[in-house]
Amino acid sequence: MNPDRDADVPPDATPHVCERCGHPFTAESRLALHRGLAHTELTPEEREAFEAAREEEEADLRRFRLLALAALVALYFGFLMTYAVVT
Amino acid sequence: MVTASRWRRPGRLAGTALCALSALTGVAAAHSGGLGGATRDPLAIPTWLFLLTGGGVVGVSFLLASFVTDRRLVDALHDWHRPLPTPGRLVRTTARLAALAVLAATLAVGYLGPSTGVRNLAVLVVWVAWWGGYVASTYLLGNTWATLNPFRTLASALPSLDRPYPDRLGAWPSVAGLLLLVWVEVMTPLADDPRLLATVLVVYTVITLAGTVTVGAEAWFGNADPLSRAFRLYGQLAPLHVADGRLRLRLPGAALPDTVLDGRDDVAFVVTLLFVTTYDGFVATGPWASGARAVVDAGVPAPLLYLGAYLVGAVLFYLAYRASARLGRRQADTYLTTAYLARRFAPALLPIAAGYHLAHNLGSVLVLGPTLAAVAMAPLSPPASPPQLAGLPAWVGGVELACVLLGHLVAVWVAHATAYDVFPSRLQAVRSQYGVTAVMVGYTMLSLWIVTEPYVAPPFIAT
Repeated sequence: MNPDRDADVPPDATPHVCERCGHPFTAESRLALHRGLAHTELTPEEREAFEAAREEEEADLRRFRLLALAALVALYFGFLMTYAVVT
Repeated sequence: MVTASRWRRPGRLAGTALCALSALTGVAAAHSGGLGGATRDPLAIPTWLFLLTGGGVVGVSFLLASFVTDRRLVDALHDWHRPLPTPGRLVRTTARLAALAVLAATLAVGYLGPSTGVRNLAVLVVWVAWWGGYVASTYLLGNTWATLNPFRTLASALPSLDRPYPDRLGAWPSVAGLLLLVWVEVMTPLADDPRLLATVLVVYTVITLAGTVTVGAEAWFGNADPLSRAFRLYGQLAPLHVADGRLRLRLPGAALPDTVLDGRDDVAFVVTLLFVTTYDGFVATGPWASGARAVVDAGVPAPLLYLGAYLVGAVLFYLAYRASARLGRRQADTYLTTAYLARRFAPALLPIAAGYHLAHNLGSVLVLGPTLAAVAMAPLSPPASPPQLAGLPAWVGGVELACVLLGHLVAVWVAHATAYDVFPSRLQAVRSQYGVTAVMVGYTMLSLWIVTEPYVAPPFIAT
């Protein structure tokens, strides 16, 4: 990806820009994750920020998994009931 | 006798799809315990429920894919590959010459052979061997068109002016070319009239050679030629590929998440590839036939109606995809542009296009395969009624539906892996797929509706 061509930062926004590749992010935690995933040789502070962002992300993911599971159950029983009524 | 055109219409799929469906509803009935034994009524469940189920399966597969959150697993699946022995120059030259010979034979028999479609080798080679069988090999095995392409072999024998290819045209000539080719296929009896088919082939050859002489073979086949572009994209889906001059094996679809299309012209091509299959099936449905009759009765010329519906449909498909990219951008809360996301996620549509292609053509290849063999033995005096398989067992319909479903499942997975590649936050990646998943659910329901509609010959066109 080419930050000049593929990213569009609104004039009133304050992006968190990666100092290595120029990729802009909407949140500090995403920049921290990006550094850890896309670049090697992090400074100890960056490494720490990456680990912290990762933990936060895990918690968010757990919440999302619960919601997705609820959606799956709702779909399953929704279809089961519909089939029972219709056929 | 079954004509070739009847067989390559998706309408035939409807019968087999309904067979498979009635088997499924039989199971459902047994589970609910209300009815003893499987019902054989093909309309055991209403169409809306059938469509809802199809859409539901795609939605569920998105939810299931979202549970795979281990980045290393996602990467490992897509980076897996094995080296294979690479074919030598001799094999390639022989294959190239054989492809050229097939093209020459197709043209000659198209003009000189019998005039009934199913007895003419040209029709069988183009529709059964090439369109049904060979095209399937480009996404099931690997894209060999760059090597085999007989038009490229011809072009390499001609001089070239090597004018620069205008960059601003990009892939648009191939989008227009694809639309034109399918338009001709839908509007003319291309599968029943060998002379017409041979003429279309000659026109395609002349245009291609004029293009390669003007801008050079590399620029022409790389940008403007719709067939080369389609096969190149299908080849991205295939397990066999060439990297650093070596033949390699990878998992099917593994390269798609890393595929970034060049621009909106490329995106338009992928969406058009999906649209043309849909249009071909849509004009063979009952509602289209009655709607078209009403509009033509009101005084609109039939070709104009078909052309209008065709172009409007293509634009609607593109706008729907664009809207999905915009929705994904909003949901993911990112500074990446809509255009970039559209270019990243468009390759995920390719497995769907391939799945439908396989489902539409599997039956005709199986049924007309013996015909092709019998007619190829004596192209100029083929048997009066060449053999074909009398009928296909019901499970072939199940295989066809499975192809459609598998295409969608691979597509959902590719979108998932792409999102993981694009976004650092995994939750952001999941949210970015809402748009493209919505488009896939909608497209599944539309295609399943077309598949369940009984085949009605499109009115006002000669087929």
